[in-house]
Amino acid sequence: MSRMRLVAFTLLVMSWAVLLPAASPAHAQTADDLFAPSLHDLQVFMNTRDVQQLRDTYQENTYYQADLEWRGMRVRSVAIRSRGFGSRNPVKPGFGIDFDRFAAGQRFLGLQSLVLDNLWQDGSLVRESVTMALFERLGQPAPREAFTRLFINGEYQGIYSLVEAVDPVFLSRAFGDPGGYAFEYHWLNEFHAEYLGRSLGRYKELFEPASHESDSDTTLYLPLHDLFREINAASSSTWRESVERLLDVRGFLTHVAIEAFVSENDGILGNWAMNNFYLYRPSGSTQHRFIPWDRDNAFLAANTSILLRAGDNILMRRLLEHPDLREFYLQALERCAREGGWLEQAIVTRANLIRAAAYADDRKSFPNDRFEADVAFLIQFARSRPGFVAAEVARLRGEL
Amino acid sequence: MSVLTSCSFKGQLLIVLAILLPASSSFAQDSGSAPAETPAAKAAERDWDFRWDNRPSLRYGDLLRIDVRARLVTDMRRPDAAFIDNDTSRFDIARRRIGVEGEVGGVADFQIERDFADRRRWRDVYVNYRGLDRIEFQAGQFKLPFGLDENTSSTNLDFVYRSRAARLSPGRDPGLMAHGRVGGGAGIVRYEAGGFTQDGDNGRAGDLPRPSGGWTTAGRLLVQPLRSSTSVFEDFQAGVAYTSSDVQSGIADLRGPSALRDPFYRPEFAVQGMRRRVGLEMRWRPGPFSVQSELVRMASERLGQSVEDLDLPSLTASAWYVHGTWVVTGEKKTAGADEPKRPLFDGGFGSLEFAARVEGVRFSSAGGGPPTTGPRAETILPPRDRAITFGVNWSPNRWIRVQGNLIRDTISIPTGEAPLSGPLVDGPSSSFWSRVVRFRFAL
Repeated sequence: MSRMRLVAFTLLVMSWAVLLPAASPAHAQTADDLFAPSLHDLQVFMNTRDVQQLRDTYQENTYYQADLEWRGMRVRSVAIRSRGFGSRNPVKPGFGIDFDRFAAGQRFLGLQSLVLDNLWQDGSLVRESVTMALFERLGQPAPREAFTRLFINGEYQGIYSLVEAVDPVFLSRAFGDPGGYAFEYHWLNEFHAEYLGRSLGRYKELFEPASHESDSDTTLYLPLHDLFREINAASSSTWRESVERLLDVRGFLTHVAIEAFVSENDGILGNWAMNNFYLYRPSGSTQHRFIPWDRDNAFLAANTSILLRAGDNILMRRLLEHPDLREFYLQALERCAREGGWLEQAIVTRANLIRAAAYADDRKSFPNDRFEADVAFLIQFARSRPGFVAAEVARLRGEL
Repeated sequence: MSVLTSCSFKGQLLIVLAILLPASSSFAQDSGSAPAETPAAKAAERDWDFRWDNRPSLRYGDLLRIDVRARLVTDMRRPDAAFIDNDTSRFDIARRRIGVEGEVGGVADFQIERDFADRRRWRDVYVNYRGLDRIEFQAGQFKLPFGLDENTSSTNLDFVYRSRAARLSPGRDPGLMAHGRVGGGAGIVRYEAGGFTQDGDNGRAGDLPRPSGGWTTAGRLLVQPLRSSTSVFEDFQAGVAYTSSDVQSGIADLRGPSALRDPFYRPEFAVQGMRRRVGLEMRWRPGPFSVQSELVRMASERLGQSVEDLDLPSLTASAWYVHGTWVVTGEKKTAGADEPKRPLFDGGFGSLEFAARVEGVRFSSAGGGPPTTGPRAETILPPRDRAITFGVNWSPNRWIRVQGNLIRDTISIPTGEAPLSGPLVDGPSSSFWSRVVRFRFAL
């Protein structure tokens, strides 16, 4: 009898061991799973009035309450709003999601917030995902991304990119510094890293805090003021030292080199001056770093100069006046150029992953044949750009 | 936009009726009264007469009386809480009202009042017909019959600001009301019942697009059981009140009032369905003392308001207060402490009154999940404000009154799960003092 009990007990324990993980998917999932390179399904539940209101007033940043469900895990009372700049539209809105706005301290897979990029301006739908992966591959912290089919109240809304928000959780993952300062740059007019004067209000207009939101303006913006003042200081033997004290110069040059390699048209050296970046300042430090954001305009053309508009930006121009930094920039470009094979593979893999979902997405801004044409263009870019960049680097070295 | 210009066609119609009613009723009175009097004698009695009767008064015989009323009220406020508008430590003109009130033909009285210091310019604009036994009809814009404190004239308030319970009461809107006294010769039961175009202006949030209740029915029943006696309980009364209205889908227009009437709580909760108020009240004014209390509960349905378009538990706001006063100079409270027996410079000091009030207000919902602050939260964070007010009222004469209040507010979230959003409260609980001095001149 006791033997039978022992067998029954053993079977019971074994069945629990088998069934428990399947019954509790929440315990198995992490943010790494969310940003894994696969095509997810994300369900959003919103009151139908709110859905209509959000579309009617898509230019406003009003937060609506919603529930979110992913792989059977449901997170309640999240705050969702329309987001984007040039990509804002009522047909396929981009979304920002805060997990703790309505429920203090709430996290989803450890995340505080999440962005649903509508991929509105990219016919291939993969430009941003590939570029951000390249940043990470070359050691430059960048938001993680994954593709998802988005459903609102069960209705397919199209293919979106899940983008890791730049917030304290991101700072913790990327820099091990949850107490750091992060600022989102807002394009107001052409800004080439000029000194904006002593008023901190000018910097506040351009840089919105993504952490430490309630800190004083002096705490937040005085170091930014100092950064741009030093960038624009008169030439002297101490200029570089002063700037390096306030900026990770080599990180900045690597960032710009990656943008130049992927022919980014709306980045640090963008067609409309500086755009699409965050500034990060570690807690207890004055040395800022750039974080890339929104790469929908990458892959402009395979033959764009690797110094395109470098002379327009005060910081870039003055850094390249230093031979060792110029060489560092060229080396960073060479590192990028060695990634041609990886780049092509990354494009093909992602395009294949999302093709069916993209075809079914009747809210996207481009037709399906444009998707194929753009993907083909990107593949061609990946094949030809490394050679062009290597030749440009060699040519520039020859000029030295 | 004034109340009159913003109110519905139905509301405007009621106000027009209110203006026309006195003319018709006076005409009816003229045609059927005093047949023995000669036309010459009647004409002589109906000469225009302007006199001073504690205020300017214009009369046309016994047919018409028009009294001019004016009121100027200034406040000096000083809250210790940094969250309340910092610009309040100053003199603030709270009211600048002028109006007329009077009587027509002995069967109707009326009031028209305009406030030049308030966004809601038109205050009371109504006529009351009392030509029938046991029932009177009032039409126009006036306060809905709900709430003892809310329906106390601002000149008779024992404190500078009305209670939190009054802030949950409806306030004014255009409507038609029947009222009167029944219950034997003494009329120990007083009733008020009517229909109104909306559910009062107290909850309407200025320039914010907030829905409020539509057509509203309201009723109030008061019992004064010893009204005909000469006992100390003669003045004791107790009552119940009720309002019901339908609220369209939208964000609630309810706000949690704190000291100095600044809202400590601006709920962003979606509502739709019936909004019902229930009120209990009592008042007793023996000699120079008074005590009164009220309990108001307001529940707003949230039909189809969940993230999945399902019903949410009703949003409930509850407020209560108990207050007492003592006129130390001996005036009877029922006669009004603002009319001193011995005015200043007339052999006395005026009247002096001490007052104290304890009150509370809280918001809640009956959901079962963890509380959140989202507009469609099943269970809301239940913020609460409790306050105690100490007051001194000095009336040197019948026209002037100076009131001083010291208020202690304690705002808290009982669950302590999260701080309120917004600038008002830094943590789960916050206490602060406020001081306010009011100077009032009234004709």
